[in-house]
Amino acid sequence: MARVGVFVCFCGANIADYVDVPMVVEETKKIREVKFAIEYKYMCSDPGQQLIREAIVQHRLTSIVVAACSPRMHEKTFRKALSDAGMNPYLLEVANIREHSSWVHQKDKKAATEKAADLVRMAVAKSIANEQLFEISVPVTKRALVIGGGIAGIQAALDIADARIPVVLVEKSPSIGGKMAQLDETFPTLDCSQCILTPKMVDVASHPYIELIPYSEVIELEGFVGNYKARIKKKASYVNFATCTGCGACWQKCPVKVPNEYNMGIDKRKAIYTPFPQAVPNKPVIDAAYCTMLLKGKCGICAKVCQVGAIDFKMQEEIIEREIGAVVVATGYDLWDPKPYEEYGVGRFKDIITSLEFERMVSANGPTNGLPVRPSDGKIPKNVVFIKCIGSRDEAKGIEYCSKICCMYTTKHTILLHHKVHDSHAYVFYMDIRAAGKGYEEFVKKAQVDTAATYLRGRVSKIYKKEDKLIVRGEDSQIGQVVEVVADLVVLATAVIPPKDNPELARMLGISYDKYGYLSEAHPKLRPVETAKAGIFLAGCTQAPKDIPDTVAQASACAAKVCGLFAGDTMKKDPMISTVNTEFCSGCQNCVQVCPYGAIVTEEVPMGHGSKEMRTVARINEGVCQGCGSCVAVCRSMAISLAGFTDHQIINEIVSI
Amino acid sequence: MDYTKQIREIATKLFTEEKIDVFVGYRTTGFDENQVPVIITGLEEIPKLIFNDKSVFNLTNYLKQEHTRNKRVGLIVKGCDSRSLNLLLTENQVKREKLFVIGIACEGVCDDEGNKMQHCTECMFPDAVVFDEMVGTTHDARLYQVNADVRELASKSLVERREYFETVFESCIRCNACRHSCPLCYCAKCVIDQETSTLYHGANTTSSAFHALMTWSLHLAGRCVDCRNCESACPMNLPLHLLHKQNESVIYENFQEHMAGVVEGDRGAFYKYSMKDPDDFIM
Repeated sequence: MARVGVFVCFCGANIADYVDVPMVVEETKKIREVKFAIEYKYMCSDPGQQLIREAIVQHRLTSIVVAACSPRMHEKTFRKALSDAGMNPYLLEVANIREHSSWVHQKDKKAATEKAADLVRMAVAKSIANEQLFEISVPVTKRALVIGGGIAGIQAALDIADARIPVVLVEKSPSIGGKMAQLDETFPTLDCSQCILTPKMVDVASHPYIELIPYSEVIELEGFVGNYKARIKKKASYVNFATCTGCGACWQKCPVKVPNEYNMGIDKRKAIYTPFPQAVPNKPVIDAAYCTMLLKGKCGICAKVCQVGAIDFKMQEEIIEREIGAVVVATGYDLWDPKPYEEYGVGRFKDIITSLEFERMVSANGPTNGLPVRPSDGKIPKNVVFIKCIGSRDEAKGIEYCSKICCMYTTKHTILLHHKVHDSHAYVFYMDIRAAGKGYEEFVKKAQVDTAATYLRGRVSKIYKKEDKLIVRGEDSQIGQVVEVVADLVVLATAVIPPKDNPELARMLGISYDKYGYLSEAHPKLRPVETAKAGIFLAGCTQAPKDIPDTVAQASACAAKVCGLFAGDTMKKDPMISTVNTEFCSGCQNCVQVCPYGAIVTEEVPMGHGSKEMRTVARINEGVCQGCGSCVAVCRSMAISLAGFTDHQIINEIVSI
Repeated sequence: MDYTKQIREIATKLFTEEKIDVFVGYRTTGFDENQVPVIITGLEEIPKLIFNDKSVFNLTNYLKQEHTRNKRVGLIVKGCDSRSLNLLLTENQVKREKLFVIGIACEGVCDDEGNKMQHCTECMFPDAVVFDEMVGTTHDARLYQVNADVRELASKSLVERREYFETVFESCIRCNACRHSCPLCYCAKCVIDQETSTLYHGANTTSSAFHALMTWSLHLAGRCVDCRNCESACPMNLPLHLLHKQNESVIYENFQEHMAGVVEGDRGAFYKYSMKDPDDFIM
């Protein structure tokens, strides 16, 4: 016979103001199996827990019901109290009479009390069928996979590797560095982006615990937290990295010129190339889309000049596998294409450029020797108009959200313009100046004074050409007038958008993404780096637009999570998972279809006792199962049961009210 | 519609070329015009085979049985039967490579009085959707129809509908013939027979019959192909199609015109997720 103890919490006034707690206790005492029921001001407090511990011993209780707040708050607290009293922690049931009753029925105390009593009755009925459950131990492969070699991936890889955990860093382009390597200076301190980034890149290459796999993509991830297996496609680089010394003879002699992505297509690179001089690894790859040897079978100059014979035109792409325990996704961001802004003449007027193009021009290692130039005639611009929120905060043409970094980098650009062209003047059209961050507001204020830039609060409605100038017509909402600015160059602060491959990547990894394509964190506030899938973490702009300090902080947070995951030889996991009764399973595999975690596989079992004939049944991988119960719902023959939520328990709940 | 000659020819060819071990077809009962399924194992039995508008039963039900399991089977499927075969393939109950399927472009089958069956007059897919060899002349695409009795039922209130079913199911004797005759009821142990399912117990009380039939209809929702094996098998003449057709019409309306078993690999509305699924019931 079950002996249930019920503990009803006042939660200060939170519950007691709207639910008659003593009445709930009285109602509860009428249930036959309830041997002890009591109310207390704060059950989660230490004396409250002590009450539970003492009652368990005194009244020889077999299961415990705590009627209080959501189990998301204090289920762990109360489970611990049960353990401390020598009881299996999973014999606890939490009846949520706060979120589910007092808070939502504040206008009707009587009804709220009745509902609270019902909730307790259900929890008691369920707890009677509770069984002892035991935490599951899952072995862990202590190796992390980092996808993306931008600053987020670099930071995460270094932090994890510094904890002596092996890291596999996969980067799809020939070099790590990402977008940060394209930047000139960084706000708000104006330190040189390359100067602070390249030492970290070199650290990655030389770190004994980091295996850097450049020019590669993760194409498949199977398994579960602590025990993933990743398949990585190494694209054909046609250069043997093991023998290549990075001397550069090949790309100096290569006759094929190709628009240079690193410089936003402003200048040309060769068909065999490293993206930029400080590339890591500093080994070139051959762009198969342009190389005449690969396309037409003629040329081969690079192979002739290579002293070490590293060029291999027959190289094929290769699939490699790595066993890993955790994944950090750091695939970064893209920039929005401003083509929909037709009224600005985007695409028609050469002297309208994007911010990243401007950034490349003013970079010391950029295509124009560090000076901004007009693409139309190569002249140095004097009047430059910066337009913010291109695509951002624009539901009609772009996306609804604020890209977060544009206010700051545009401010930086006005400074850089001022530094490079002393007699220039910057005009900034803005909607708001969003400068929340350490030193950011001061940076904006100082820049406005130092550069004497003209800030115009309003949107630009039209840009048209007059002789060789661009006339920017917009509104200055502060004086309520239409203004026209004569510009030599217009710079558009285009929105940050997620990489277009993100949804595909998310599906491959089995994690979720939002309507824009950003990968979704498990909880927007309290679990900002975890995903809903255990062992997969997010760093940087792949989750949402953010600046470098935030990206680095999030990457380090990911590293902390990975280190925490790998702290023991095995991982503990809640035992609330599904199990298949193979006797009842008919192998229809509906459960396999609906499982969001890929936790269900099939196996062959004998048809009958001692039979040689085999039949297919479902099997739950206990490491992967998160206990969502989808499989239970679709199983017609009730062959699947979820520990802690068995049909018996649920039916008990239903019939109790 | 009489394809007896073609069926016998194909079956003869299959046995002669040793492509199949058994053939599932129809034979006459021997005392009237009605037909029963027959499983034949060799050339000598071929004269038994017959196919005309009295070939009512959905033969895919016989794929679950010991006579056919793990054997190479020749099989006749009409439009509706082929859809249940599709579901059996999708749900991993039969292996396609073990089957030789004779698809029928069906003109509709007849009841005992020789009238065309009501569900055949409103059939949307008369031609077999999965087959190795097709017999008959195929039909043009048809529109979805809901029969008058189902529309009338749907117009009733929830309480009235419940009362209606409680009343008609009073005569259910829980013989489970509906389940045994259904090609898609193949569970190793039906939930209705499980010890934990207290809802379905209590011998043949009205409430246990009601719950059992309701559960059964939900397990077939989005899967039932309207072959009406269950109604033919029911000794109490219960209007079981009302349950299934009602489900079918609701699913057709709400889940992107979903019809069970038309496409191989489609598990039905309840076992897949689409962004277009209705979600207005969520606050």
